[in-house]
Amino acid sequence: MIRMCCRVLAFVGILASGASLAQGVTLPDARQVELDNGAVIILHEKRDVPLVGAEVTLRGGAVSDPEGRAGLASLLAGLLEKGAGDRDAASFAEAIAAVGGSLSAAAELEAITISADFMARDADLMVELLVDMLQRPSLSAKEVTKLRDRRIDLIRAAKDNDPRRLISTYGNAFLFDGHPYGTPVNGSETSLGKISHREVQAYYDDYVGADRLVISVVGDFDADAMASKLSEAFANWRAAKAPLPEIESPAPQSGRRVLLVDKPGATQSYFWIGNVGVGRDYEQRAELDIANTLFGGRFTSLLVNELRTKAGLTYGASSSLRRPTKAGSVAIVSYTKTESTIEAIDMSLEVLAKLRNEGFAEELITSAKNYILGLYAPRLETSAQLAAQFAALQTYGLDASYVNDYGAAVAGAGSESIQSVIMSVYPSPDDLVFVVLGDAELIRDDVAKYGPITEMAITDPRFLP
Amino acid sequence: MAFFAELRRRNVFKVALLFAVASWLVVWLLDGARESVQLPVWTETFVYVVIALGFPLALLFAWTYEITPTGLKKAIDVDQTQSLVFKTGQKLNAAVSVLLVLGALAVVGERLLPTFEFLVPGVPEGDAPMATTTPPEIRSLTLDNGLKIIVWPDHDIPNVVMYTFVRAGGRNEYPGITGVSHFFEHMMFLGTDKRAPGEFDTTMEAAGGANNAYTSSDVTVYQDWFPRSALETIFELEGDRFENLAIVPEVFESERKVVYSERRSGIDNNNFRMLGEQVQATAYVAHPYQFTVIGWPSDIESWTQEDLANYYRTYYAPNNRTVVVSGDVTTEEIFELAEEYFAPTPAQEPPPPIRTVEPEQLGPRRLVVETSAQTPMLHLAFHAASAADPETLSMNLLLNILVGGESSRLHQLLVEKEGLAISVGGYQDEGFDPGLAYFYLTLPPGGDPAELERRVLDELARVADEGVTDAELNKARNIVLADFWRELATINGKASAIGNYEVFQGNYEKLFRLPADMEAITSEDLRAVAAQVFRVNNMTAGVLRAPDAEGSQ
Repeated sequence: MIRMCCRVLAFVGILASGASLAQGVTLPDARQVELDNGAVIILHEKRDVPLVGAEVTLRGGAVSDPEGRAGLASLLAGLLEKGAGDRDAASFAEAIAAVGGSLSAAAELEAITISADFMARDADLMVELLVDMLQRPSLSAKEVTKLRDRRIDLIRAAKDNDPRRLISTYGNAFLFDGHPYGTPVNGSETSLGKISHREVQAYYDDYVGADRLVISVVGDFDADAMASKLSEAFANWRAAKAPLPEIESPAPQSGRRVLLVDKPGATQSYFWIGNVGVGRDYEQRAELDIANTLFGGRFTSLLVNELRTKAGLTYGASSSLRRPTKAGSVAIVSYTKTESTIEAIDMSLEVLAKLRNEGFAEELITSAKNYILGLYAPRLETSAQLAAQFAALQTYGLDASYVNDYGAAVAGAGSESIQSVIMSVYPSPDDLVFVVLGDAELIRDDVAKYGPITEMAITDPRFLP
Repeated sequence: MAFFAELRRRNVFKVALLFAVASWLVVWLLDGARESVQLPVWTETFVYVVIALGFPLALLFAWTYEITPTGLKKAIDVDQTQSLVFKTGQKLNAAVSVLLVLGALAVVGERLLPTFEFLVPGVPEGDAPMATTTPPEIRSLTLDNGLKIIVWPDHDIPNVVMYTFVRAGGRNEYPGITGVSHFFEHMMFLGTDKRAPGEFDTTMEAAGGANNAYTSSDVTVYQDWFPRSALETIFELEGDRFENLAIVPEVFESERKVVYSERRSGIDNNNFRMLGEQVQATAYVAHPYQFTVIGWPSDIESWTQEDLANYYRTYYAPNNRTVVVSGDVTTEEIFELAEEYFAPTPAQEPPPPIRTVEPEQLGPRRLVVETSAQTPMLHLAFHAASAADPETLSMNLLLNILVGGESSRLHQLLVEKEGLAISVGGYQDEGFDPGLAYFYLTLPPGGDPAELERRVLDELARVADEGVTDAELNKARNIVLADFWRELATINGKASAIGNYEVFQGNYEKLFRLPADMEAITSEDLRAVAAQVFRVNNMTAGVLRAPDAEGSQ
């Protein structure tokens, strides 16, 4: 009967919804439990498939890496999986895989996150593993050394492979130069090499605890039972010892400077051109998203259209916005064969100038609005996606209106306010940081025209000279 | 009040109740019947319309007529003292009661039976996962021109996904035109007789949709993601490019450069894929699976427009495509749109079959790629089976045990215990023809590929000899089962899964037999497939290292 009702309702729903365009997404009401020690538990039942997704966050992340120890938060996240409770590293991994579960911990710029996805029948095991890795991780000396050394080698391996995966790490490191937002989240060969077992343990005591914990669980489970289970497990957990670091707003770049990363033999040059942008809670987020969609956020955007479709210079070009709590970065990212390096960079700068000088026609703005709204719902389709969204909102002090009001904000954005956002967020072509990664011998002289060059080799064991 | 009393006297309320209960039962039975009987797609709509129209008619009938001993008479013509309305009312009450009891029994019965309900009830760890059956809402239609379209309605979000599978890829190429399948994929976005280059994308994005495409050795697949409101636009766009593609010479030349950039990014400046391309080319001596999908540089430089025209005619005909739609749609509307936009294209002669069968490999093949590298790599490839071969599922489970994640045998041994590798992974090709079971390992700087190869071969020999434990087999089943559910959690995953099963297994319903098929596989099956495939004489080994590295071969 339940099944039939749903089908009849869906049938009526289709008739009713046929004419109108999607107008954003409304988050379901989740149950929220706040414990006395500050831990927040968010629960929502969703039963389309027999899975349970969980997202755990610990505020902090790479910005709380100590001086010279970039990658410590990330290393700690990895070590939480290397044995906890009564299980050593191998049995912890076996417990997850034996039931077809997936569980991974990683650091982001401002949080450590653990994402878990288990079959519904194994929800209790999932909770047990999460509780153990947060409250009783082994952090054994052997595992610390092993994972640290392996991470160093994996960075070297990454430098042998696709530079597209690394160019933004170099870009943010060079732009924010010394500010925590420039920290390479997974560390560098040099910074990881300095981390000791004792420092890992100290970091765990200082930065992991209930006062900065959010656990969000969405899927096929009983919310009442899960609420009491998680509350019980975390009610008596300690707080982290150290306060979260205060992050200053980074200063925007004035004028130009260039980092040239030498990869001898490379047949392509990869470039990242950017400046300081805006933060997560930027008031005109909808206007900015519309502008970025049209500048370099989709296939028919200005950048793709000019560099790829018209000129055939590259397979890909985009504009990226990194929006942490304070101002993050805004950047153009692309690549081209070595001989056309200057042509492609010059063209990117022309497109940037065009963005600021001409803005966008009304018809394109409507197109971008439809595009953003039309593709919003699939971003919050699964239990794991919803769990991550709930956790992110709570972690960064945002409420449901961040999602729920977004559709109306996009639909209502006017062309004048979009243009003023463009002028304030996208940098003038005179104030830019350039990172060019390629065969330095072949491009060094030419890229000098963009500004004073700092040069390093890709094999240098760090992301800054 | 008198009117209501009269309504009551004439049993109008009871007829209404009877009608409602009977309608509910009919809809419910219809719903259940679709699980076992293939009903025409319009049945559902038809029943709803009959119910909706029938309800006022039934009330009017009840008001107007009475049952009398001499048959039906108009109520106003019946002498009220002789009226049998009370008895008729009792009969109506009885009918309602019977229907309600029947309905209740059926509903309760259904709840107790594990029918198609798309749920795996709480099965304790280690127990067999429940079988699933094909959800009845999935329907398919084959147009007169041979194009098959499969629809999986899912109204969770107001979005739709369309996948178009074209049975053409690297295996349909020959020296001189390698990469043309993938290049063709690019050209499919760049102009028709009706639309200028770029219009396809601007139209789709303005309607709120996004697209992509990929090419493999076997197929070229076009993907559209869009809100329901863009449904007809997408059908029109897809119908147009599959019927009226136009190759504009300047666009052709410009896009050639784009694809070359894609090759430089994906392969020439990426050690992992550079080695993979060489291993693939070496593992086959005859079969066209040896060709790199992106194409060899000399061929990228020399494709002609004529190559493309031939290709379009032969491979893009409706009888060589399969379309899958999943999301906020009804099967009826999709079938109507397909008739309107996809049916006019005529069928073509089927493409020529691939005749070449890779001959048995007679000894190990080895190759070395020298390029700048801090971390050496080792790839090992073994000839295995095709997607539709039952052995492929055994190999899938076996690879999960050997290299699936941190708990896998090779990761634990080579990465965690011995430190000979910093990462291991593997997969098998699942194509029309027998493909490769593939292992890839990255070594720490200074690592010894020869020693690592010996250790891997020892482990593969061990599994061919001793097989796997029951716990390992169960683990592999659970990993595949959980991945099955993760894929079915999105409309995109649904379209992809259904399409791949239809194209490579010949029938999308096989997707839902996966849990049961896995149950039938034994530890001995895994041992046998290991013994059959993991033979040194069946192996191609590729090493990538820096030119100045100590020769370790």
